[in-house]
Amino acid sequence: MINFVKKNLPIISFLIIPLVFLYSPTWLDFFGSKPYWPLYWLLPWSMMHGPFSGLIVSLFLGLILDSISPDHIFTQIPGLMLCGLWFSRCKTCSNYLIGHFRYGLICSIGSFLCGSIYFLQILIKNLPDQNFIFYYPSIKNILAQVFVTGLFAPLFCSTLFKLFSTNKGRKSLLVSQRIRNF
Amino acid sequence: MLDIRRISINRWVLNKKIWVLFGFLLFFFFIRLSKGSLFKDFYYFISKPFWPGQFQREIIRNSVDQEFLIKLQQVENDNERLREILTLQKLSEPDTIVASVISRQTGSWWRQIILNKGANDGVEIGSPVVGPGGLLGRVYSTSSFTSSVRLLTSPESQVGVWIDRIQLHGLLVGSGNDFPKLIFFNKEVDVKVGDFVTSSSASTLLPPNIPIGVISSVDEETKLKKTANVLLLGKPQAIDWVEVLKVKI
Repeated sequence: MINFVKKNLPIISFLIIPLVFLYSPTWLDFFGSKPYWPLYWLLPWSMMHGPFSGLIVSLFLGLILDSISPDHIFTQIPGLMLCGLWFSRCKTCSNYLIGHFRYGLICSIGSFLCGSIYFLQILIKNLPDQNFIFYYPSIKNILAQVFVTGLFAPLFCSTLFKLFSTNKGRKSLLVSQRIRNF
Repeated sequence: MLDIRRISINRWVLNKKIWVLFGFLLFFFFIRLSKGSLFKDFYYFISKPFWPGQFQREIIRNSVDQEFLIKLQQVENDNERLREILTLQKLSEPDTIVASVISRQTGSWWRQIILNKGANDGVEIGSPVVGPGGLLGRVYSTSSFTSSVRLLTSPESQVGVWIDRIQLHGLLVGSGNDFPKLIFFNKEVDVKVGDFVTSSSASTLLPPNIPIGVISSVDEETKLKKTANVLLLGKPQAIDWVEVLKVKI
């Protein structure tokens, strides 16, 4: 069982994201906004597996999150796909402390990007009926989410990065052993 | 030339990874089309031990009953008499399904609650959901064991409402914060802070006279319309038990 979990850790953690999105603990609230959970998973994954993988996985993430969120017209896919592509270009930092804060900064910018794209969709859909000022609370939502996402990113991203790298290292070791045996 | 092309096509077709990816893509599209019912049902089972206790339900019910019992009889009598005079549609005695909230998202854009009663318990899409205080929202999707409620504060929510003091209909639109906007398509409306907002008798989505909220502030009027902020009476961020109304409008 433990071996199974260790082997399929990325997939299991991927499937946990929608559950965390549904559970969304209230004690993590900041002005009613919660961290944008998918970015915590997407950042280490994309950094390790490259742009194609980042793009595909962000599409999957977007599809799942859209299915459990109440808005059917608006989608989270474009923002997540852009983030997946951008995160894959980011490199790890050798300095331990700076690396941690870098996760926070990258996730904050990613959250801002996703939030802005989502807000734009709401705006484009409703602008003929409502004026821009009508949606000013959404700007507060974006900023609160940017802050709270950046705050917890060092903790979650570095943990996931460690777990993924251990998993990847284990896999590459298995492959090299297989080649040696062959 | 043809051989090379055939080899390259064969390589593409025989690539296991592509088929696995395609399978995953199909699976996620299925989840998207089923509105996440698979995930919500799974969440239903794993969150079962953490549902709010029975005693909490009784406390809420008792407090609500005590507060409104005396008023209710009086209002019902008045309501019946006035409806007979106005020959409006009669509010039927609604069957209710009591459900507990197993997931809530009341901040940011995604404003919904998920209930532990679903299609198996008779919850239907479009059913209004009320909690202590008044209307919370409407059911937008159901799975076998759960139902998802779009709150009145969600940007996609739009319901028709009635302001009793000025005898006027308005449109209540969610704007992504805790105060949905009430829109009147007439700038000459004499709406004031403290006016009581209920569901409209002309609405095709909700039964009439469900309390919704109180006007908390009135915005400056624009060229064609007047808007006001509404303080909702039902607080989805604090409610653990709700009632799904089974009414035919």
